[in-house]
Amino acid sequence: MSLRTSLKALPTLLRIGFSEAVAYRAEMIIWVLATTMPLIMLALWSAVARGGPVGRFGQAEFTGYFLAAFCVRQMTSSWVAWLVSYEVKQGTLAMRLLRPISPLLAYATEVLAGIPLRVAIVLPVLGISVWVAGAERAVPTSLGGWGLFALGIAGAWLITFYLNVLLGTLSLFLESSQKLMEVYMVLFFVCSGYMFPVEFFPPGVRTVMEWLPFRYQMGLPVELLTGAHAAKEAWALLAAQWAWVAGLGVVSTVVWRRGLARFAAFGG
Amino acid sequence: MNAKRYLRLLGVQLKASGLLALQYRADFLAEGLTSLAWTFTALAPLFVVFGARPSIEGWTFHESLLVVGWFTLLQGVLEGAISPSLTGMVEHIRKGTLDFVLLKPADAQFLVSTQRFLPWRAVNVLSGVALFVYAFVSLGRWPSLPGVFASLVLLGTSMLILYSLWILVVSAAFFVVKVDNLTYLFTSIFDAARWPSSVFRGSLAWVFTFIIPLALMTTFPALALLGRLPWTWLVGAVVGAVAFAAVARWVWLMSIRHYTSASS
Amino acid sequence: MISVRGLRKHYQVHKRPPGLKAALRSLVHRDYTAVKAVDGISFDIQPGERVGFLGPNGAGKTTTLKVLAGLLHPSEGEVTVDGHVPRFREEAFLKKIMLVMGQKQQLLWDLPPSETFELNRAIYDVPRLQYKQTLDELVSLLELEELIGKPTRQLSLGERMKCELAAALIHRPRVLFLDEPTIGLDVSMQVTMRAFIKAYNEQTGATLILTSHYMDDVAALCPRVIVIDKGQLSYDGSLDALVQRVRPEKRVVLRLGQPVDAALLTPLGKVVSHEPGSAVLQVQQDAVNATVGRALSTLPVTDLTVENAPLEEVMSELFQEGKARRAEAAREEVPA
Repeated sequence: MSLRTSLKALPTLLRIGFSEAVAYRAEMIIWVLATTMPLIMLALWSAVARGGPVGRFGQAEFTGYFLAAFCVRQMTSSWVAWLVSYEVKQGTLAMRLLRPISPLLAYATEVLAGIPLRVAIVLPVLGISVWVAGAERAVPTSLGGWGLFALGIAGAWLITFYLNVLLGTLSLFLESSQKLMEVYMVLFFVCSGYMFPVEFFPPGVRTVMEWLPFRYQMGLPVELLTGAHAAKEAWALLAAQWAWVAGLGVVSTVVWRRGLARFAAFGG
Repeated sequence: MNAKRYLRLLGVQLKASGLLALQYRADFLAEGLTSLAWTFTALAPLFVVFGARPSIEGWTFHESLLVVGWFTLLQGVLEGAISPSLTGMVEHIRKGTLDFVLLKPADAQFLVSTQRFLPWRAVNVLSGVALFVYAFVSLGRWPSLPGVFASLVLLGTSMLILYSLWILVVSAAFFVVKVDNLTYLFTSIFDAARWPSSVFRGSLAWVFTFIIPLALMTTFPALALLGRLPWTWLVGAVVGAVAFAAVARWVWLMSIRHYTSASS
Repeated sequence: MISVRGLRKHYQVHKRPPGLKAALRSLVHRDYTAVKAVDGISFDIQPGERVGFLGPNGAGKTTTLKVLAGLLHPSEGEVTVDGHVPRFREEAFLKKIMLVMGQKQQLLWDLPPSETFELNRAIYDVPRLQYKQTLDELVSLLELEELIGKPTRQLSLGERMKCELAAALIHRPRVLFLDEPTIGLDVSMQVTMRAFIKAYNEQTGATLILTSHYMDDVAALCPRVIVIDKGQLSYDGSLDALVQRVRPEKRVVLRLGQPVDAALLTPLGKVVSHEPGSAVLQVQQDAVNATVGRALSTLPVTDLTVENAPLEEVMSELFQEGKARRAEAAREEVPA
């Protein structure tokens, strides 16, 4: 689809996506309840921190970190992998392909359109975080800090989206990609900084984590939100994150195209 | 209710699932490998936590392994016997075929909860037992006979609670439109049972003991194996589990009534 | 408008035999069987034509339709639709066509249909004014006023299908593919849908291709039919001519004032059915006049009509023929 028509269609796509998100508000509440793992981890690490701080983390720092992790998960989560594999199984992907608009763009707007509702949940949580942990441990204290966070969360959203596209597209090649999605979720939980800050990994393992995409999906935006990095360090990490964005963008688009060619050869 | 007829029905459903599983024997390998990978990856946070402290809230690393062992074992039960039916139920609601189930001359709760089993997921049960053995070898002692007996009783109550939790989640499926997330909600609530319940303080401790009795499911049996579970708690757990199951059954019946009166 | 030359679509289907050994082996070496869904068909369709695809289940109708819509790539052959090669899925092409599948929906399930219309307006870049005109027309023709504000999930199957059709026509497609559009609908709804589809074709001059299991759909809508059987084209022409060819006999339907003896009917022609108040006779075309005359003079006839054989019967006879022909061909191949 030409860029001009896409841009023209975008406001309507987002508006209707938002209406859909509102129609599914009960489901979103369930989703929010299902993503409360950071609160469990907060309870656990608070118990650990009662005997004294762990690294740079005392009770207040853990509170700031895990509430931020909860917020970042709300903002960046994506269900495109499940959607694609469902549509492939049901054959409704064909209906999407009939339309003169890139299905990837349609998926992206569907997820993006849900963000305003999620912000409504995130803001009070951030408020609580500021109140309990103190502003300097909960949110950036400078405009530049907010800018870095915006860049970090946009990158995190894109990495998550592209990984979802990649996983979803694999259902065009494999009979069942469910297992793969499970493996992805476990890796995400453990490696991203969702269950504990990545700096708690032993040094060797930590280097590996710096080279994997997961840390940039969760850990980096959380650290930027809680002001863990000086500007120079933050920029270096953001550069690595956006390198992943670019790489995954190319790979997932190529795999998606190949998947579609296969879909056209084998049918739905 | 005719108990014999229901046992026979259960037998039929189990046999069908078993035959299906035998057809996909290659899955056995895949299940085994992913289950092992799961178990070890899931241990990573435990290593990280106990890397910071030798003991947390009175639990050492190896004692916590017992909790993780129970968690893994119950996960096998959950994924092998409970989740598949939940997925089936979600499918029923989406396709509007639940009416067929309600039309059948047998208890609907029984039918939806026995419709599908994934026997290969039982590999997790073996992983759980392996964790027990490793933990006790490392502790340098073995559980007492009454301890083992108490933990077996608690295994029964845990499964009852797990099943009741499942029925509650399924009941929620009657009230929300898009039900796919429910399975996810269920597993993520259960995930908190990975940790000894004493780390949770205040309202969270209250929730996990009385509202969603996760503490009863993994921490109590681990305490029983260690011989640290008071008898009164054991009795409390049994009574609590039965009460919880009764509440779940009541909610289920209410939901069915809501469903049949709302959909004309 | 549409031109198809030597279209073939063969699938490689992966066979997975039961058993662990076979399963493990299939990880390394996979056995494939070729399925010839469409095996060399050619036809042309002029602008504004209404054409019905007929054939038994699995004959290749839907496959052909999907190839024409650009969803499936042909294994062999040339396909063009209004100058476009469908498989390139160019924007201009996609804006000209639409495929309506009776069993798959594009309406957003939990929002009112009006939202899907609006979405399609944006996606197909339909100018506001034209959109409003089209929508008003669709709403009044299909009687949608009451429906388009309700969430789709609350609509009945028939109401949903009407909205589905409206959503498909928002961008006024020049070529409309309909795959079983009336499946599961009640008879009056089927009639409504047919009338509407025909009106759309006549008003806009859009080309229409239809597959359906309901012969009435085809009879009411399609002057021309293309019969596909086992992936091959077995007939292309007018529906009347097809009936003439397969079943040249006519049916004489008699309403009788009083019961008559069967012996009185048999000399007139082949008795298809005989009940106290009515009888149906099958006679050769050139004998129709004579039979009618004799019936009127010898029987207590209150009403008499001459009809073609029911389409369902014609089709099943045609497919039986095809089967017999293939069986014969197979027998001939054996000795060689």
